[in-house]
Amino acid sequence: MVSGGQITEAVALQTPSADRKSVSINARATPTLATEVLSAQSAEIDTVSGATYTSKSYRASLQSAIDLAKATAQSGTKS
Amino acid sequence: MGTAVSIDIRDDVPSSALDDVLRWLHHVDATFSTYSPESPISRLGTGAATLEEMTDEVVGVLALCEQLSDDTGGAFSAFVVPAPNGSRLDPSGVVKGWSIERAAELLEQHGAKNFCINAGGDVAIRGQACPGEAWRIGIRHPDIADKFAAVLAASGRLAVATSATYERGAHIIDPTTGAPTADMASVTIVGPDLTYADAYATAVFVMGVDGLDWLAEHHPEYAGFVITRDETAVSTPNFADVRVS
Repeated sequence: MVSGGQITEAVALQTPSADRKSVSINARATPTLATEVLSAQSAEIDTVSGATYTSKSYRASLQSAIDLAKATAQSGTKS
Repeated sequence: MGTAVSIDIRDDVPSSALDDVLRWLHHVDATFSTYSPESPISRLGTGAATLEEMTDEVVGVLALCEQLSDDTGGAFSAFVVPAPNGSRLDPSGVVKGWSIERAAELLEQHGAKNFCINAGGDVAIRGQACPGEAWRIGIRHPDIADKFAAVLAASGRLAVATSATYERGAHIIDPTTGAPTADMASVTIVGPDLTYADAYATAVFVMGVDGLDWLAEHHPEYAGFVITRDETAVSTPNFADVRVS
């Protein structure tokens, strides 16, 4: 398992971690091209993992847009 | 830390919970900042103070850096490029993840069970986004700022750390050569603890794609997802456990 917590849409983990040699052989999945850009919209995303941004570049980041959208939605619910 | 921290708590908690977390993060910044010449870590790095004058907290973080350097065969190191204070001591690669895990503990002590902390692109989640709904974490595409290279869904406890050069240029240095690393566009590590996920992301960035074999062999509870400069995506098989698209 990747974490101690529950993982959604999990598939059976086939890595035989007890046998180091097997782990090494099975270590990588088949490489795929990353050029295919995902169509997921930021509205479906709670948070973004990426390269460390500075406090200045945060303002232009997708994370900042998501934070703003959530804050707006929350104040909308309350009012 | 010179970055932005987003804290998204889905439970009702007293405002003192956030006060505690902010106080903690400011304390970490004052102690470990390599930008402030008066911080204990700056004074230690420039020789203005000795290790004996450091608090147990600073000594503990330095021990963690040493442990991670040994563990990664030197691919992670707190002694590489000159930090902004001119010293070569820069434990920030450990401090960020470590301080966010501690921030998560503080929130839990105040009764929060479902929350997400994002510290400059490194993420720690607990619980669920909503009852029955997993947290959805997008991994930024290295070339397109508003698109994702992968989307993860998870509940419970999970850390997601990404090392890449698109925000701050080629700042990740191979400690064994002293030169910037060139092959990788983005490295994401997923696992239980952000302290280690963050350090492993830096280490695998330096190791290159072979770093995924190292990760699978030595830390099978963590998963890795790598995008190289020629836009090839490679991952450890257990990355499929959390990836939904």
